[in-house]
Amino acid sequence: MAELSYREAVAAGIAQEMARDERVVMLGEDIAGAGGVFKTTVGLLDRFGPRRVRDTPISEQAIIGAAMGAAMTGLVPIAEIMFSDFFAVCWDMIANEIAKARYMSAGQMALPLVIRTANGAGSRFGAQHSQSVENWAMAVPGLKVVAPATPADVKGLMAAAVRDPDPVIFFEHKGLFATKGEVPDGEHVDRLGTAKVLRQGRDVTLVALAAMVPRALEAAERLDRDHRISATVVDVRSLVPLDTQTILAEVTRTGRLYTVEENPRLCGWGAEIASIVAEERFYDLDGPIIRITTPHVPLPAADALEDHAVPSVARIVDTVVRTAG
Amino acid sequence: MDVLMPQLGETVREGTVSAWRKQVGDPVNHDEPLLEIETDKVTVEVPATAAGVLVEILVPVGERVEVGTRLAVIRVAGEAMAAATSPGARIVTLSSARPTVPAMPAAIADASPPDPARSSGRITMPAIPTAIASRAASRAASSELRLSPVVKRLLAEHRIDDPSLIPGTGAEGRITRDDVLAYVAARGGAVPAADRVVPMSRIRQLTAEHMVRSVATSPHVLQAVEVDFLAVDRLRAAAGDAWRAREGFSLSYLPFVARAVCLAIPEFPHVNASVRGDSLVVHQRVHLGIAVDLDRQGLVVPVIKDAGGKTVRALAVEIRRLADRARRGQLTPDDLTEGTYTLSNSGPFGTLITAPIIHQPQVAILSTDGVRKRPVVVERSAADGGDSIEIRPVGVLAQCFDHRAFDGAYSAAFLARVRAILEQANFDAELT
Amino acid sequence: MTSSDGIDGATRFALYRSLLEIRVVEKRAYDLFLHNLVKGTSHLALGQEAVAAGFAVAMRADDYTFCTYRGHHHTLARGAPMVGVLGELMGRKCGLMAGKGGSMHLTSVRHGVMGSYAIVGAHLPVAVGAAWSAQYRGSGQVAVCFFGDGTTNIGAFHEALNLAVVWKLPVVFVCENNLYMEYTPIASVTAVEHPAADRASAYGLPRVIVDGNDADAVFRLARDSLAAARAGGGPALIEAKTYRHSGHSRADPAKYRPPGELEDWLRRDPVAMYRARLIEAGISEAALRDIEASTQGAVEAATEAAKASPPAPVDVVEQDVWSDGGSAWRN
Repeated sequence: MAELSYREAVAAGIAQEMARDERVVMLGEDIAGAGGVFKTTVGLLDRFGPRRVRDTPISEQAIIGAAMGAAMTGLVPIAEIMFSDFFAVCWDMIANEIAKARYMSAGQMALPLVIRTANGAGSRFGAQHSQSVENWAMAVPGLKVVAPATPADVKGLMAAAVRDPDPVIFFEHKGLFATKGEVPDGEHVDRLGTAKVLRQGRDVTLVALAAMVPRALEAAERLDRDHRISATVVDVRSLVPLDTQTILAEVTRTGRLYTVEENPRLCGWGAEIASIVAEERFYDLDGPIIRITTPHVPLPAADALEDHAVPSVARIVDTVVRTAG
Repeated sequence: MDVLMPQLGETVREGTVSAWRKQVGDPVNHDEPLLEIETDKVTVEVPATAAGVLVEILVPVGERVEVGTRLAVIRVAGEAMAAATSPGARIVTLSSARPTVPAMPAAIADASPPDPARSSGRITMPAIPTAIASRAASRAASSELRLSPVVKRLLAEHRIDDPSLIPGTGAEGRITRDDVLAYVAARGGAVPAADRVVPMSRIRQLTAEHMVRSVATSPHVLQAVEVDFLAVDRLRAAAGDAWRAREGFSLSYLPFVARAVCLAIPEFPHVNASVRGDSLVVHQRVHLGIAVDLDRQGLVVPVIKDAGGKTVRALAVEIRRLADRARRGQLTPDDLTEGTYTLSNSGPFGTLITAPIIHQPQVAILSTDGVRKRPVVVERSAADGGDSIEIRPVGVLAQCFDHRAFDGAYSAAFLARVRAILEQANFDAELT
Repeated sequence: MTSSDGIDGATRFALYRSLLEIRVVEKRAYDLFLHNLVKGTSHLALGQEAVAAGFAVAMRADDYTFCTYRGHHHTLARGAPMVGVLGELMGRKCGLMAGKGGSMHLTSVRHGVMGSYAIVGAHLPVAVGAAWSAQYRGSGQVAVCFFGDGTTNIGAFHEALNLAVVWKLPVVFVCENNLYMEYTPIASVTAVEHPAADRASAYGLPRVIVDGNDADAVFRLARDSLAAARAGGGPALIEAKTYRHSGHSRADPAKYRPPGELEDWLRRDPVAMYRARLIEAGISEAALRDIEASTQGAVEAATEAAKASPPAPVDVVEQDVWSDGGSAWRN
């Protein structure tokens, strides 16, 4: 086991796959010479050369379109969109073209590609550089959606995403880039579509994603210590495919579900989970399902405002204590 | 505790609320005037029947109500609501239960600015923000109706008709799941047996769907042959410990059956085919599916690609690998596609014969069942000593085939060929 | 019959056959609308046959075609079966995509038709990606991307051209300028006279305009630009002047066209012009009648086969979202 930062794990996961498979290529803005604006691709140009690690112009449609064309003709591209907010300028490519090509062609086309992007708050960049848009991606049939919370998951899920024969949107969280964790040595490949139970409790289940995972864990500690409420914490990790069995099993055990979501309220990913639980485990619920989300507002820039908007440990604890009786 | 419209006289059936002396949130003392009611005869003051806090007014001034109507709710300090509303109930203290009332203000203190009213340690309702208080009150006011889904289910399962018998330990005395379970346990566990409804897992649903579709699609015909595994057993014994040491698992009958099937298919190519519309697509390559049980939750059928040219050893290793991956949930979509013929193995459980269901769109599937030692009449000419009864390892191979694709004679000849290959077992060179 | 311009007899027959097939199938598609056997929308390429035929005949079998929602002609020209095209328009099981794509998304990967794209401009970057892949793999393949004049005013056009030039990719961009974006004359909404050619200089490319109704001219230009791209010379941008004989889509009677315009262009009908040229080159009337009769026969047979095919089976609705053939998004 080696300790890596979340950002180092991005490059480690990509490097593992590029070394394994000559078809894997990268493209994006500032990813090669500069090593990425978040330093997530440092060293890849030196190791794999400019033929496989390519800087592009600021042309998000061309980046994603080129990844699509390359994927349908035998390569396995990893495209970077610098901030997930920029998905809006290439959403046609992602949502209309990539997501639908296999379906519309009745299986004639394969699109093994990964779109990486920096998602989420914590950097005080304001409403156009701090959004959590994982629920946009989740809403489009034909996209797989992953959002890891730890360096080990970054590396393992990156490998799984590259090896997956379908398009995968890979959300890296800006607020987690500096965090560190143990990453298995040697080849490390995880599985898409699997949630992880990080902590088991008997009273409530907290379901979280990406930067909300460490907050949910800390909230669980405080609930236990200060309020004698014993909480399960599930890291969803993969929104599509969604590991509903793990979530349903935990909710069945505790009878209570809280989702902790960074995306704005309406149609956030937790809404789908809430709906599934309500449909399939209604008679195991011992209280209402409660969603803890960013309010339905564009994200403000100032630190105090951003911190207030995104679910905090205190808000999670408070919400659970108020409602879990 | 509910404040009800009193019977103000023998002939009085209703009255009008004319004034509230207290407002929501006000503390009230026992017997302190709470509201005024006008009837067609008199105006009377109605006193509080308990000390506490007025948490909810249910009838506004001017409204006419019948005797017995709930007018207001008084939160009785320091007392769980269920106990207050169910005076006859036995109070059971659960060691695992959380003391709900103290927990609530403490939690709020966690997230809100310090409040002198609370820092004294005195716990009173006004300390709780209004929204929470009114929600709690409305919940308490109708606690008998506000049972959570799981509580309702448990009440039904345990045939408990009167939930008021169960002390609630949840917020405002709500009956929680644990309360019901504790009540049932305290009752002596005499739980009337109820049928369990087990939702099907996703894989179970998919398996079910496929099976129904396959039976509806293909007219299944079962044919079976008995096979003498003596020669195979000799090879297994000879490979023995060396095999296990080298490969890490023991050598079963299945790879031999798989090999025999692969060797027989070129002579009977139509068993390795799919029905497409009005045509039979005869596959050039043999991709052999192996049905794997997933902890009895469902089936998956990983596929050995190009099994036709593989040795017994290669098949054994491949079967082992796919079964491991299947059970660990690590199969890739590639592992599950392109099968052209399938083996289903119930042998380890010692079954006699299994009629398997065809894995669509294939046209045949073979079940290998238990191999047991049996007395067998071995026929020899008189010159060779005549017939004798010998102990032989015998097992049944049962094939279901799609009668659309071919007929019984074809299937029978194929099975006879598989049997002959297994009984000769010329695989000595294939085990290393 | 090799002429001085280097187009041999077999090529000329191939061009004429392709022109005819497109013409007859597109007319048949229109008839099938009238019989209510084709639902939804369809964008016919009547009048634009020569662009498709000229390029397809010049392309290598493994080259890539990318086209727009007006893509029947390119799909047919690459050799996709008529029954698959007509079946797809009619929503039949025998359709190229079993009814899942429809008229605007004809795709036949085994014929190099890498999709028809119904969002204007979307496929230019995709063609760039296919060309990048060909360059990376050293396969010698070229991607050819067809689009309308309206596309030249959308951002993806410019992003794709820039990247293709910067990376020197084997891709040929072909603008079929049929004078109308949808209902509006392209000239009235575009800053330059020639919407594609006049933009070429912005990307350091030569200004190339071709008569898109002349199959020979298109073929020659296609042959040369494909060869240059294959040899590593980078992309080309070609503007082919042509004309839509029908409206934008089946819903459009094209009343916005000035009187006489259609008649002028019908005098330059690419199929009739090519027939006259073959006669002039000494091909017998009988030989041409043979090829016409056999094309007509093929279209009749394809029509009957498509009509006889059952409707697209509903099972496919939940198939092929993912590479495992299914659409499961949860366990």
